[in-house]
Amino acid sequence: MSLEAIVAIIAGGLVSGSLYALMASGLSLVWGTVRMFNFAHGALVMVGAYSAWYMSNRGGLAKALQPLGKSIIESSENSGALGGLLLPLGEWLVSMRGGFGLVLGVPFAILCCGLVGYVMYVLLVKPFVGKPGADLVVIITTIAGASFMQNGVQVIFGPRYKQLDRILTGPPLQVLETAIGLQEVLVIVLTPVALLLLHFFLKHSKLGMAIRAVAQNDDFAHLVGINVGQIYPLTFVVSSILAGLCGVMLGGLFFILPTMGAQELLFAFVVVVFGGLGSLPGTIIGAYVIGFIRESSAYIFSLYWAPVVLFATLILVLIFRPRGLMGGEES
Amino acid sequence: MLFQVENLTSGYGKIDVVRDLSLHVDDGEHVGLFGPNGHGKTTLLRTISGLIETKAGKVTFQGEDITNLDARKIVARGLIHVPQGNQLFPRMSVQENLTLGAYVARTDKHKSSNFEKVFSLFPRLKERLTQRAQTLSGGERQMLSIGVGLMGMPELLILDEPSVGLAPIIKEELARAIAEIAASGVTMIVVDQDVELLLGICERLYLIEKGTVSLETADVSQVDQAEILEMYFGKVT
Repeated sequence: MSLEAIVAIIAGGLVSGSLYALMASGLSLVWGTVRMFNFAHGALVMVGAYSAWYMSNRGGLAKALQPLGKSIIESSENSGALGGLLLPLGEWLVSMRGGFGLVLGVPFAILCCGLVGYVMYVLLVKPFVGKPGADLVVIITTIAGASFMQNGVQVIFGPRYKQLDRILTGPPLQVLETAIGLQEVLVIVLTPVALLLLHFFLKHSKLGMAIRAVAQNDDFAHLVGINVGQIYPLTFVVSSILAGLCGVMLGGLFFILPTMGAQELLFAFVVVVFGGLGSLPGTIIGAYVIGFIRESSAYIFSLYWAPVVLFATLILVLIFRPRGLMGGEES
Repeated sequence: MLFQVENLTSGYGKIDVVRDLSLHVDDGEHVGLFGPNGHGKTTLLRTISGLIETKAGKVTFQGEDITNLDARKIVARGLIHVPQGNQLFPRMSVQENLTLGAYVARTDKHKSSNFEKVFSLFPRLKERLTQRAQTLSGGERQMLSIGVGLMGMPELLILDEPSVGLAPIIKEELARAIAEIAASGVTMIVVDQDVELLLGICERLYLIEKGTVSLETADVSQVDQAEILEMYFGKVT
């Protein structure tokens, strides 16, 4: 294997690993705390990508607001003092016809995903919490929710593929004769930052500690005065925000379409089981390991064989370590 | 009267474990509950602290009805229940466990002095500050459980079987610490199988059998140990 190939595999592995880590950490968090698997997690990735696109792209919100901007300018001409105030607003709206950019797009995506995650919890999960067989029921309700979101997005935005603007433009980075796109570099660098923020939130904030407390012993969590009923939706919101970040990154790398995230969800499940259910460090390490396995098997065999190699690895790990890499460890 | 339980009935599903039980605790008093296993002591405590629904009866704390209130609201009022056996956050450090003990807002201002109180009572916890709860010994875990309870600044502290499964020497250490907490003026309900331990701490005892109070001793200084053993085991013939 040439040096170039190795660099390419490492870069590719880091990119896939980053995306899986963002996605799987959310799944793992929800599993660890609420003891349920969220099958709409992939759809949240899609929601993140679409909402970032809607805010940032010229074909999204900016386009929809053009008539409003123009009518504000028109009406401001004959409405005196108030018009003087409104005119800049109208002019600003018209001037933004190129889109609001990712500076607004990314926070908007985070906001949307958090909100969708919360609504999803209230509608699809909360009615079943504490009931017998809830985990199975929630699999069905979240699959239904995912299907609803995918089709809803298709109706609203149409089936045409979309893509996010590139944040960094310029020639790709040259590492030992191998070209790595700047967007890829961004994903590789920003994911650890996001995961570190998650770590500090869980380790040092009051609410983050409460999430871990509920995951480790919900009975005792009640007895120290934690509002356990509030921690569940909070966990969904945090997990959805992570999915949204993953969506923004995917949307910058590949095309945005209503069914995006489904393939990643499958791999994220593999990662969560591989890393050890409910263990966040295990999940993150697992994500990068799976990323590397995927990229190297895609290089050595072919992209179509990558899932085969992945699942074979998973089966082997489960035979020798049934609880995954770090099952039963820190959550 | 600080705390009162009147005709309480509760249990799991259709089965009543606690039946028509009444007891009371005065301000500053230390009351012991004892009785055979499986007769509803723990269920009673879990009902009081809001983990199990009350089917009938009434729980009053500081003059207010707290029957079927959310557990967190009961904790916020200062009724702290230290549950039986190793109920901790196992994969968190001693420090994190204690920090979570001070989760309710009213303890915020006193957090550092509460830490000091717990450490002076259990110096071993200070030595083990960064260690995970699951790696502690049984005695240390029990100390940590009580420490977590104290971080919540109890107006009424309920200890469920603090001495269960501990070596005699550690039991003694723990009994001293509990007596120290009692002497500092914290009102307490202590549940234990070890009547001797209860006699060292409590002014009054209740014997709980078949989910209800079957005997009540007015003042432990008036009764001798043989009588209590008789209550427990029946008359030796």
